Amino acid sequence: MKHLFFIVFVALFLVGCSETLTRVQPYEKEHFADAKMSLSPLAERAEHEGHIFLIREASAGGDSAYQGGCGCR
Amino acid sequence: MKYILLFSLLTFSLFAGVNVGDKAPDFTLKTLDGKKTHTMKDYRGKVVLLNLWASWCKGCKKEMPEFISLQKHNTKGFELIAVNLDDSRDNATHFLSTLKQKIPFTVLHDEKKNLAKAYRCSAMPSSYLIDKNGVIKQVIIGSLDSNDIKILQDEINTLK
Repeated sequence: MKHLFFIVFVALFLVGCSETLTRVQPYEKEHFADAKMSLSPLAERAEHEGHIFLIREASAGGDSAYQGGCGCR
Repeated sequence: MKYILLFSLLTFSLFAGVNVGDKAPDFTLKTLDGKKTHTMKDYRGKVVLLNLWASWCKGCKKEMPEFISLQKHNTKGFELIAVNLDDSRDNATHFLSTLKQKIPFTVLHDEKKNLAKAYRCSAMPSSYLIDKNGVIKQVIIGSLDSNDIKILQDEINTLK
């Protein structure tokens, strides 16, 4: 009986760490998707600044690389 | 051995999402206007595409016109149920009004996200193709484009 309680306790403990409890679920991201949550409130300006930054630093793709690490983009 | 089995059952059962071949979880939800209540049982005998969407989700908005044409092409034996997961139904109503088309399918509102929890929705949008007997035949993660809709149409035709 002691073993049973121990196993149930450990199972419940591990469930506490489960992904469904610790991770924000995709359907719960309404407020994250809000425009005011954006790091830069002006998307067009941010894109322009990013473009200038990448040219000056000669690091195209170094901001948020699209595709893999082949260096072809 | 007995304990290991029990332990496994307790833990792994909590991670299980819906899979192809599972019975579609039942629901009781109100329409977006709050006037009617729909349950999964209402759609027994029809092929159903259950779509989980939200107005803040770009992919969900992108596929909505495709869904409108899909429902228009399937007037018999097929129902598309779009379950909105916005906190406020006003946001969903506003988005649908921007489409400037009559929505030919049922739009339900799941404020408490119970259906998304029941389906263990892993991404937005998610769609589930359900057969006449209420069994899940396809789990679609992500938004659908016109090519995907054509493939889906074939699948719907076989299930009808």
